[in-house]
Amino acid sequence: METKGMMKYAAVLSVLGAVGMFAYVGYASNMFSYLSEDPKVCINCHTMNTEYATWQHSSHRERATCVECHLPRESLADKIFAKSRDGFKHSFAMTFRTYEGDNIRISESAKKRIQANCINCHREIVSQITANSKLYQTAGESGQIDRKCWSCHREVPHGTTRSLTTTPDNLGVKEI
Amino acid sequence: MKRSTVLTVISVAAIVPMVLLAISINENKAEQKAINAVPQIKKLESRSSEWGKYYQRQYDSYRQTRKSDKIDDMLQVNPALVVMWAGYGFSKDYNAPRGHFYMLEDNINTLRTGGPVDAMTGPMPTACWTCKSTDVPRLIDKIGELDYFTGKWARHGSEIANPVGCGDCHDNETMKLTITRDFLKRGLDAEGSLKAAEATHQDMRSLVCAQCHSEYYFKKTEWTDKNGAKQTAGVVTFPWDNGFSAEAMEQYYDDRNFVDWTHKVSKTPMLKAQHPGYEIYKTGAHGLNNVACADCHMPYVREGGVKYSSHNVGSPLDHMANTCLNCHSEEEKAFKDRVARKLARKTELTKTAMDVIAKAHLEAGKAWELGATEAEMKDILQDIRHAQWRWDYSIASHGSFFHAPEETLRILGSAINKGQEARVKLRAVLAKYDAGDYEAPDFSTKEKAQAVIGLPYQKLVDEKMTFLNGLRQEWIEQQRQKGLYDTQAWEGMKFNTSYAPEELAKK
Repeated sequence: METKGMMKYAAVLSVLGAVGMFAYVGYASNMFSYLSEDPKVCINCHTMNTEYATWQHSSHRERATCVECHLPRESLADKIFAKSRDGFKHSFAMTFRTYEGDNIRISESAKKRIQANCINCHREIVSQITANSKLYQTAGESGQIDRKCWSCHREVPHGTTRSLTTTPDNLGVKEI
Repeated sequence: MKRSTVLTVISVAAIVPMVLLAISINENKAEQKAINAVPQIKKLESRSSEWGKYYQRQYDSYRQTRKSDKIDDMLQVNPALVVMWAGYGFSKDYNAPRGHFYMLEDNINTLRTGGPVDAMTGPMPTACWTCKSTDVPRLIDKIGELDYFTGKWARHGSEIANPVGCGDCHDNETMKLTITRDFLKRGLDAEGSLKAAEATHQDMRSLVCAQCHSEYYFKKTEWTDKNGAKQTAGVVTFPWDNGFSAEAMEQYYDDRNFVDWTHKVSKTPMLKAQHPGYEIYKTGAHGLNNVACADCHMPYVREGGVKYSSHNVGSPLDHMANTCLNCHSEEEKAFKDRVARKLARKTELTKTAMDVIAKAHLEAGKAWELGATEAEMKDILQDIRHAQWRWDYSIASHGSFFHAPEETLRILGSAINKGQEARVKLRAVLAKYDAGDYEAPDFSTKEKAQAVIGLPYQKLVDEKMTFLNGLRQEWIEQQRQKGLYDTQAWEGMKFNTSYAPEELAKK
């Protein structure tokens, strides 16, 4: 009888402990901020300081936020899926330190999304370019050659100097 | 029993990774804090070299403003200015602005601040230091705003030791941008479209500049000091209650019957516009698109592998690749030509306005001389007051022709119109006194113009030189003793003015 009572007690305590711990982790990680689209959410972690700072000093600042370029815009489901997957990968990398150095690189799938978003906003300017590029490809290809917009427009929008150590005294970031 | 055990095991299994995760999160946060940490700098430290120890790139670029060292005597370029400012300090000496590095030096050297012989003499009030030095917020914090704004300019000579620098815009604890001049906060709150407390970081990248690059006047304010004596302070105040436009501020001043000075020749109750740079910029294409002052005047620059905001505040046209071309995709030359055309248009209208207004002053002077009555002159003087105010508002901030070309030309047009209205009325008055064909005297050079208004130029220069070699040297000695004098802030400073050759000054 006594052990049973003890176990019950332990069970309640450990469930409470787990709930409490979950609440704390939620609080410590600013969990709910990730539901927002505010660019400042991206500098919850210091890894993105330079990306934020360079964007904040670019002409895209007035027109496009982080998620407007980096997440798909076609459907809400795609967007939420991409955001969750990226979010998981980023948390994993932060927690287990699987990223190397301070100079992070974009993933292949994110490149595709961004390219689509470049074209989406600048479609009037690039429509002729995309149409012409089809002429240089074998039948059945997607119509876009491998090069991305930023293969030439290398400074847009983050500049070519963009590792964490390159913007040491950034005020827009330190505001947080 | 079984259920309790299962629950416990599951919970503990959940708690363990969550604890590890929490530890990891807190480690990352600590790292972020370390990355974002700021060095320990004294509150309102006025010596910029103390900040420069930790922010060497920013400090070095700030010191580059010393390269903007040319003295452009604007009275020489536009002698009409002497006539327009007759009876006011600006008719004595007025140069185009130089880099931030020279700000305090030029304030001390200009003939406008005169040659005080002690703390109680000289033509100007303490308020004239307000935008020249990092020592101002420090001194206001020490003795209080009203006390600071009381007395003659020379009173604070031994306290004001450093030109505008780091502490004017940065908070020492966070390095965030901050407003160190409370009159800007009061002005913004009175205007209402952007309350000081609601300013974002992007707003602050313009507001720190607006602390000084704005129109202001010295508002007479009564107060009682700690000995119970009545004092009058001249508090720097932004006339923004009705809005930022030339007309809104004109209304503000008219409602209060405010007069900066009475014109020596025409007896007009005058207004002097200072430099409404922020106000005009807000009406232009860049201001409307939320492009901050710092975006163009303090661009992100790359030095080796590091990026930082250049603190070499100057013309964005000097390094267009980092400024204009960040947003615009055009040839540099095409841009420069376009800006030059904007400047030429402004120059054309401002020359016309100056000629019209200067002549109006001289013609009004003649009318008084011939015995014109107050009643005859009242409307004329009001027209001259408004004409000169508008002309001054439109060009005093120097960059207005670029920041807001349309607004600048619009105001200049209305200034010319007001000036000519005054002159049409003046012709009638002059004709009445048999001087219908009166022609204003020649004011085509600075010397001729200063003779026309009776300015004792050489006396002013002599007084200034006595002051610079006397009282000023005492101030520097006192500043050294108080530990305020920053040798680096004055290193390599060359005596350069519009009125005296270098060999005249001992320093």
